[in-house]
This record gives sequence, C-alpha cells and structure tokens, in this order.
Amino acid sequence: MRSQQIAPPPSHTRQVVTVSSRSLTLAALATASALLLAGCTAGGEAEEPQAAGTPVEGGTLTYATGFGEATCLDPHVGGNMPQALVGTNVLESLFSQDENGEIVPWLATGSTVSDDGLTVDVALRSDVTFTDGTPFDAEAVVANIEHMKDPDTASSTAILALGKVASVQAVDAQTARFTLSEPDSALQESLAQTWLAMESPAGLARGMDENCAAPIGTGPFVFSEWVKQDHVTLTRNDDYASAPAGAAHDGPAYLDEIVWRFIPDPATRFAALQSGEVDVIDEMQPDNVVAATAEGSGFGVLTGALPGASIRLELNSGYAPFDDERVRKAFIKAADVNPGIESLFFGTVDRSYSVLSSSTPYGASFESEYTVDADEANRLLDEAGWTSRDAEGYRVKDGQRLTVDFPVSTNQSIPAEVSLFEQIQATTKAVGFDVELHPLDLSSWYAALGSWDFGVTSAIYTKNSPDVLRILYHSDNIQPAPSGYHPNHSHVSIPELDAALTEAGETSDPEKRAELYEEAQRILAEGAYVLPLYDHLQKIGYSDRVQGLSLLPTLQIPYFGDTWMAG
Amino acid sequence: MSVLARWGVRVAGAVFVLWAAATLTFFGLRLIPGDPAQAILGGPGSQASAEALAAVRAEYGLDQPVWVQYARYLGRLVTGDLGSSYSLRTPVVEVIGAQIGGTLLLAALSLAVAWIIALGLALWSTRGGRVAAAVGSGLEIVAAAVPHFWLAIVLVLVFSTTLRWLPAVSTKGPEGLVLPVLTLALPLAGFLGQVMRESVLDALEAPFVLSARARGESEGGVRLRHVLRHGALPGIALSGWAFGWLISGAVVVETIFARPGLGRTLLNAVQLRDVPLVIGVVLVVAVGYVLMTVLTDAATRVADPRLRLRGAV
Repeated sequence: MRSQQIAPPPSHTRQVVTVSSRSLTLAALATASALLLAGCTAGGEAEEPQAAGTPVEGGTLTYATGFGEATCLDPHVGGNMPQALVGTNVLESLFSQDENGEIVPWLATGSTVSDDGLTVDVALRSDVTFTDGTPFDAEAVVANIEHMKDPDTASSTAILALGKVASVQAVDAQTARFTLSEPDSALQESLAQTWLAMESPAGLARGMDENCAAPIGTGPFVFSEWVKQDHVTLTRNDDYASAPAGAAHDGPAYLDEIVWRFIPDPATRFAALQSGEVDVIDEMQPDNVVAATAEGSGFGVLTGALPGASIRLELNSGYAPFDDERVRKAFIKAADVNPGIESLFFGTVDRSYSVLSSSTPYGASFESEYTVDADEANRLLDEAGWTSRDAEGYRVKDGQRLTVDFPVSTNQSIPAEVSLFEQIQATTKAVGFDVELHPLDLSSWYAALGSWDFGVTSAIYTKNSPDVLRILYHSDNIQPAPSGYHPNHSHVSIPELDAALTEAGETSDPEKRAELYEEAQRILAEGAYVLPLYDHLQKIGYSDRVQGLSLLPTLQIPYFGDTWMAG
Repeated sequence: MSVLARWGVRVAGAVFVLWAAATLTFFGLRLIPGDPAQAILGGPGSQASAEALAAVRAEYGLDQPVWVQYARYLGRLVTGDLGSSYSLRTPVVEVIGAQIGGTLLLAALSLAVAWIIALGLALWSTRGGRVAAAVGSGLEIVAAAVPHFWLAIVLVLVFSTTLRWLPAVSTKGPEGLVLPVLTLALPLAGFLGQVMRESVLDALEAPFVLSARARGESEGGVRLRHVLRHGALPGIALSGWAFGWLISGAVVVETIFARPGLGRTLLNAVQLRDVPLVIGVVLVVAVGYVLMTVLTDAATRVADPRLRLRGAV
C-alpha cells in the first residue's frame, strides 16, 4: 500500500480531522449539524485545529483538483462542480449557509417574504464593490439573475434553481425584488450556491467568451490567468471586505495567490501532495485518506458530506423487473451493503440509511427498511412468480432471466465504489438476481439513463436543500428535459409523494417542512425505490504547512480567505 | 520523371490517409452515444431547454442530415478550416496550436531516449556472449510489454514519493519531463532494441565485418563504423510507426503527469463528443505520421547507400 511510502514527517506533528468515528443516526436536522461540526469545520472557528498560531501574510498555495477543468469559469454557464470549486473563492453569493444548514446573509443583509409568498425583497450590503470597480447594488443583482435566465447563457443549474422566479427588479439601490410564480421555500438556499453567485455587470457585458475566461466577482481572490489543461491563477483582492458568516477574519486574504492545477489521476495527485509539489488536493481515494490521517504523516484531511442526495442505488420502477414492488424489495433485502462499505472504504465513510446526505436538513433515516434478509428476499421472489432457476442459478420466469442492467459511470464512481457495486452484484446473485454491471463513460452513461435502458444505477445530485427530493422523485421529472435528461431515475410516480414534495417546496414553516419531507422519504423507503449507501464526501487533503483551511458549508467547498502558509 | 511519379503517388497516399482519418473519425464519433449539442450546452446531464438545443443545432448545422454535415465538413477541411471546438468555444487551430508543442517535445525526447537505450543495449548485449544476450533480450521483452499507466505510477512512487528526486507532476523546468519521457521511452526502447539487436547480430556475421576485422580494425571501430549503421536501419524504419505509438501513449502520460498536450486534449474531446476538436487532433496526428514516414524513408536512404544506388537505376 502506498501509505507505507510516506517520507518522514516534518518536525512537528498535528491533530487531524477524522470522520470515521462519527455516528450516522440521523434524527433529522440535529444530527446533521452535529456531524457537520465534527466532520468539517465551517468558517475556521477558534476550535479549528489547524487555525493555531499567528497568520502569516503572503505566499502561494497550490491546489490540485481531480474534479476536472471547467470549460468556462463562469458558473452561470452550465453549472458543475469544477466551476463551483474554483469559483467559490472569487465569486460570492447573496446568501450563505451556516454549519446547521441555516441560511445566513452574505452579500445580502436579509430578506422579507410577502404573506402570499410570491414577493421576496432582498436587502443588500451597500459597502461592496466588484474587483473591477463596479458597485454591487440592486441593478447588479437584476443583471445577474437575467444573465442566468437568458437562454444564450446556457445555464443548467442556475436556471433550474430559478424555475419559480418570474422576474427581478431594483426597488432602490439596496433592495432587489424577486417576483415568484409560486412560493419557493428553497429560494434563499438556491441563491447561496456558487452557481448563482454575483458577477460584475460590466464583466457580464463583455460577452460570453471574455466572461468565461475570467468572471469578475467580489471575493477574496481574482481570476488572473488561465493556461488551459495546466492551471488557473487566483491573486489576492487587496480591497476585500465581505467575508462570509463564520469566517475567522474579515478583510483581505493572507495568501498572495493560489495556483489551481488540474491533476486527473488520483495516485499522481496524492504523490504530488506527498512530495510537496502541491499543498491541497481534493477527491482523495480511501487508502490515501487513511495514509494522510495517520498520526505524524504530516498531512491532514478535511471531510464534509456534500449536500443533496446521498450515494444511493436508484431502482428503475418504470420497467421490468423492478416495476414489481416485491422484486424491488427482494433486491434491497438481498443486497448486503455494510461489509463492503467497511472493507472497501477503510472506515472512511459510514453507511447511510437516508436518501438525503447527512449535511442536508430534514434527512430521515429508515434503517429497518434496509435490513438484510435473504430468506425474505427468496420468499418475495417466489411470490412474484420468479420460481424457477436456470443452470447458472439465476431466477427465471416465462423463459426470461431475472436480469438487472446496471450502467456505471466510470467518471463518477471511484474504484472502491465500483467494487461495492460488485459486492452488491454478488450478494444479490445468491437469491437469483443477474446484475450486469456496464462501465460507461459519462456521455454513454447519460444516454443509457435517458433512454431508461437500466434496471438500477447510481447517480449523484448536489443541491444544498431538501428540495433535491422534489427534483429527484416528483413525477414531473420522469418527463425528460429537452436534453433527454430526467432526474427521476427511479421512475417514481405517486400522487401522495408529489403532493408532499410540492407542499414542502412551498411552505416556509420549518415544522411543516420537516413533517412533509419525512413523509416523502417514508414513501420512498417503504416502496423500495432507493437503496441509500453512504454520504458523498468531499475529501480534501492538505499539507500541515496549510493553516486555517475550512469548508464553506453551502457546498462543502474549500475556503481560502482565512488560509495562510506556515514555515 | 520516375522521381516525380514516386512523389505523386506519395502525395496521393498522404491525401488518402488524411481523408480516411477524417472520415473514420467523423462517423466513428456518431456510433457512440452522446449528443454534441449537449456538449456545447455544458456537457451531458445539463438540463438545457428545447430552444437552446434547437438554436445550437441550427447554429452548428447539427440539424442537417449526416451526409450534408459530412460534405460541409470536408468542404471546410479542404480550405484548411478546422472549425471551432464545441466544448472550449475556441477555434480548433488555436487549441491545437496551444497544446501541440508540449506533445511534440515529449514525443521527440522519448524517441531520442528510446533510440539511445535501444542502440546501447543492442551493441552491449551482442558483445558479451550468451549471458549478455539473454539479459539484453529479456530486458527488451519486459520493457516492451510494460503498460504505460503502470510504469508511470511505479516511476512516480519510486522517484517522487520515495526518493523525492523528481516531481510527480509536470513543472515548467526540464526536471518535470524526466518521468514522462522515461514512461514513453522505456517500452519503445524494448521494441526498437529487439529489432536492432537482431540486425546487429546479422551485420556481425556479414562479409564486410570480416574484411574490416581482417584489415585490423578494432572491435569498437567495427561496431561504430560498420555495424551501427546496419543496426540502426530497422530502427529508422520503425520510427515512423513509433511516432504514432508515442502520440497514443501521450494520452495516458499527459493525463497521469498532468501535462498539457494533444493527448489529454483528445481524451477530453472524445469524452465530451467535441467532434471538430477530435477530428482536428486526429488530422494533425495523421499529418505528423505521414511526415514521419517521409523522414524515415529519407533517413534510411542516408543510412543505407545501397538504396540510393538502386533508386538511381
């Protein structure tokens, strides 16, 4: 194992943040917040282990990402993880989220929702200026929202998040009025994401090509250079004064610059961290996490559960064989997940029994629905008519083998995850399922999903709101978007579920929301549409020269406004 | 006239190779699932609106029948217009121009290092008797069989993580080139070494070696002045093929060592169904391959005077 090849540690050792010991009993919101406090460290508070000592000004930090290189640095265009990661330290949003998942103001100072829920007045800070000198005001907010909604921008994430926003206007310089077509309890959560960050209207006016190369924001850093397939350089914004809630300090960042490198291979990325060529890496492999968290390794790991859906198997209930609830239940009863998670991930992740990730509010856990019971699985399959077995031991009905196609995206699933799928394949084979794993590149994988050509699959979806449930499981989203993409891979169509999700998306009463979201998750668990596996973890490795690094809770993205280089 | 005719055939062959590469790539990309209009609108999975998709299809002519698109594409190629990359929103020529330098440097250095290792090994292992021959031949077979990605990871673990002599990822300085070049050069040296050693062995038994020795030339002199030339001949012939092989190896090496270059560009472009960029890169590689073939022919003529004499008859 590579962990044995780590060079001798530097002169001092350090405490590292680990997640292995944390409990995952999700009593909805309370546990989620406790977990966030333990697993990640929002805003670099005083108890933050790596924030000891006096900050040192200056220096260059090299960050190596495995998420890939954006084709456009403006996260309004498209809207994916590579854009959010590099953009978070340059572009700021109207709202932020604290470690409890609560919305807190950022570039906004607050918001007022009308009684009918259709008008939202957002009050704005008056002391913020974009790095090109353009003042941040209500006109800037209008220009940004219109940019996201403009078809020519080709937005996917932002435009979807603004689905209920009919128009925005500037009431006065410090008030932007959002007019909605229907109430949207997730609006502020949506506006907190980097994909809906505020950019300089003058920058937007330069046109797409120029703005893609270097969008202009209000953040602690400024895009200064982009050498394709090599690096992006971020330099300090000396006039910075709008740090998010929870940040360790206000005012300009300590670092002179951040060199953002693209290193697709995880082994090379970790080797570069070990040899000191880079200071921070993301997308760590489980064995590397173990090596880096070992005492005296000279490295630390920050983890946080990405908000939105957990990593889970979606059973395509629209087509045979999973259109039969008994067959779905049999599959879930037969799939023995826990031993695989324990062995393949070296204790770096915990089993999840919730469709929502542990960092997303209103997650509900239904562990009893996911107990392993091969006898029950066999009984259910017999009852469903899959009574005979062929020579290879697979169940057969009317001459048809009980085959489940499982397209696996090789871009999204790490090797340990693919091995976990193989273990699920092996354990379900014992009761007669023929699960066929198909490793596919991203485009082919989306094509298979788009044509419903699968029995089960695993898809990721990051959104900092339980409203992700509506996107993934409302029957409206069985209908494909014009692109052919339908988020409701499970093909769930239940009127009560639709009603609960719609109402939860419109009510702003927290108790009512909790009730409705729990009801929705109960329907999903009892109908055996989804098999939750584990949290989608952001795993950031860093050298212990790096001090004051934290994850912004909204999307669990590294925040460098408080970071400095020691020694 | 015969020279002109030979060049005419050669040019026609080159044009055919380029046309075939462009055509196969064009239709090959259509056989794998995935929608280019999606790539233009932020990649697969993006929830682009019907209007946006329709606008993009119209703008890029993707709503036309495939034969019309093909004809248009060939038409543009003939005028030297490679079009614009869907995913990078930049002219293909610019993308390739920015990335080709790194790949050519990598390929050229790897070819040179492979040659030095292969020739050195061939000359040494044919001198020291049976044991040296077995060792040389064994090393060549192992080197030739090693996959690039495996060799790259092993080199990184040994020279970057453990010994800390060399960087694991590409850097601006020459030290960042050492591991990528070795990754490409070692397996190639294995291939080249195998054929060169055979040919050195043949040459050592040739009458002109006997006569040179009879004239009292030293063993080193015989090898340098007479045998080396023969040993090199099949290596020269293989170098044209090696160039294409190095470019395909660059896909792996540039990804693992995080080097900018054509290989990584090609990989990303295929994954994103960026048809103009894929075809652009494939054509550049095809042109490079044709040029290398011409160069190796010329080099063979320089190295082997018998061919020049035959050509004059």
